[in-house]
Amino acid sequence: MLTLTDIHTHYGLSHIVRGVDLVAEAGEVVGVFGRNGVGKTTLLKTIAGWVRPSAGEIRLDGERIDGLSSDGICRRGVGFVPEDRRIFPGLSVEENLALGFLQVPGRSGAQNRAALERIYARFPRLMERRRQTGTTLSGGEQQMLAMARVMVGAPRLLLVDEPSEGLAPMIVADIYAIIAELKASGCTILLVEQNVTQALAVCDRFVAIDRGAVVLSGTGGSEPDRIALMNTIAL
Amino acid sequence: MAVLDYLQFVLAPQMVTGLALGVAVVLVALGLTIIFGLLDVINMSHGEFYALGAFVALALGSIGLPFWLLLILVPLALLPIGYMVERGLIQRVFHGGDRHVTTLLLTFGLGLVIEDVLKLAFGPNPHRPETPISGGVELLGVFVPNYRLFLIIAGAVVIAAVAAVVYRTRLGAMVRAAAYDRHMAASLGVPVKQVYAGAFAFGVALAGLAGVLLAPIYSVFPTMGRDFILLAFTVVIVGGMGSIAGAVVAGLFLTQVQAIASLYISPVWTDPIVFGIMVVMLMVRPQGLFGRLGHA
Repeated sequence: MLTLTDIHTHYGLSHIVRGVDLVAEAGEVVGVFGRNGVGKTTLLKTIAGWVRPSAGEIRLDGERIDGLSSDGICRRGVGFVPEDRRIFPGLSVEENLALGFLQVPGRSGAQNRAALERIYARFPRLMERRRQTGTTLSGGEQQMLAMARVMVGAPRLLLVDEPSEGLAPMIVADIYAIIAELKASGCTILLVEQNVTQALAVCDRFVAIDRGAVVLSGTGGSEPDRIALMNTIAL
Repeated sequence: MAVLDYLQFVLAPQMVTGLALGVAVVLVALGLTIIFGLLDVINMSHGEFYALGAFVALALGSIGLPFWLLLILVPLALLPIGYMVERGLIQRVFHGGDRHVTTLLLTFGLGLVIEDVLKLAFGPNPHRPETPISGGVELLGVFVPNYRLFLIIAGAVVIAAVAAVVYRTRLGAMVRAAAYDRHMAASLGVPVKQVYAGAFAFGVALAGLAGVLLAPIYSVFPTMGRDFILLAFTVVIVGGMGSIAGAVVAGLFLTQVQAIASLYISPVWTDPIVFGIMVVMLMVRPQGLFGRLGHA
């Protein structure tokens, strides 16, 4: 479904991502692990089109998407929940959610409203706060909003960066319940996470990244692979 | 009675004149502040687009088109020009390292080109279009020329419409989202490039509309944008770069300061007062009175 071939990304002169090959099959959750600053976030940003890869190919169901604009990539069904949530502070909760409509071009107003109703049914908290601005929400609510905003558009591929960062354990459990639901609905997910134990529970496969390159790959269910992962990222 | 007379015959007419100018300044400042808030571009050619609007109106008026039609036609004519300037010129340097400097120089150069083209096409001398509505009315004992009354009402309607679009519609939410975080907006499907170009075009069209509206009051000449744009920049700085509410409040406030101060001192000295307010503002509250577009 998603194929990365020898992806390199630079920020100015810094060579951040150094030749990553990665495949995610349809419906899979693939964990991307590694220490801070090894290029995980940059890798997701490269797929989402925030930065252009300096070399390599990114294909989504066979179509090349590297070089497309972020909105073009989004309209092909790629949702992105970045690490700091990036809620728009000047927009109400509902306006934040309604932006998600644009992910699916050509949907009717009635379909959009139905999508919004589904989201409100799933996240009653956001329904209660729909008129408030994004910044008045708690960290957990903001993470919910960031996830819900992408779910309005029902993406085929979801890129999630550090969803549990800075959140209380109960809220982390909520977030992972949502990720499990998305997986059950057939969405392919690329999950970057420091909280490896939590993430491995939903991952089919994983890769470990060090200094911008994949140094290990394995399956989430395999005990030897897990041990190898823990040794690699030294946790 | 002397106080009442003073209010009615001296202060009130001056305030009405100031209000008419204020509304026009707000229209120009609105375009400037939206372009800055969204694109982070200081459009140095904004005053020349204002002049272009007045000249297009002058040209179309001279072939017999009625003024009322020009109020719609001229902004519409400036929309594609603004769109092309953004996509064809500004976007080309936008992603380079020194965005502020390159876009500032680019739009400054563009302004010089527009000014010279206007000089070549229409000559350097001022033109004075006819006032479309003559006469005046008495409101609460104050004589108000009809055209100024029209200008105030029309401007207020346009300003309210702009605010409604930006703060009450889905399109406006896209603009505010792109102003705050263009990467995240794009990743939610907002066509950021088109939003940028559209907003630039819209700002230019607003400047053009101000040109049409003010042409019957002030003369039309190629450098007419220069004086006016200084005031508009001051309004944007005092109100807050990229703030719509700020442009409205500061625009109306500063023009009232000018109007009332000119009763007591020579009008030549009202400019230093207004720019002095700007300097003080930059020292004590450099972000301006209100927050930037899309920010909380």
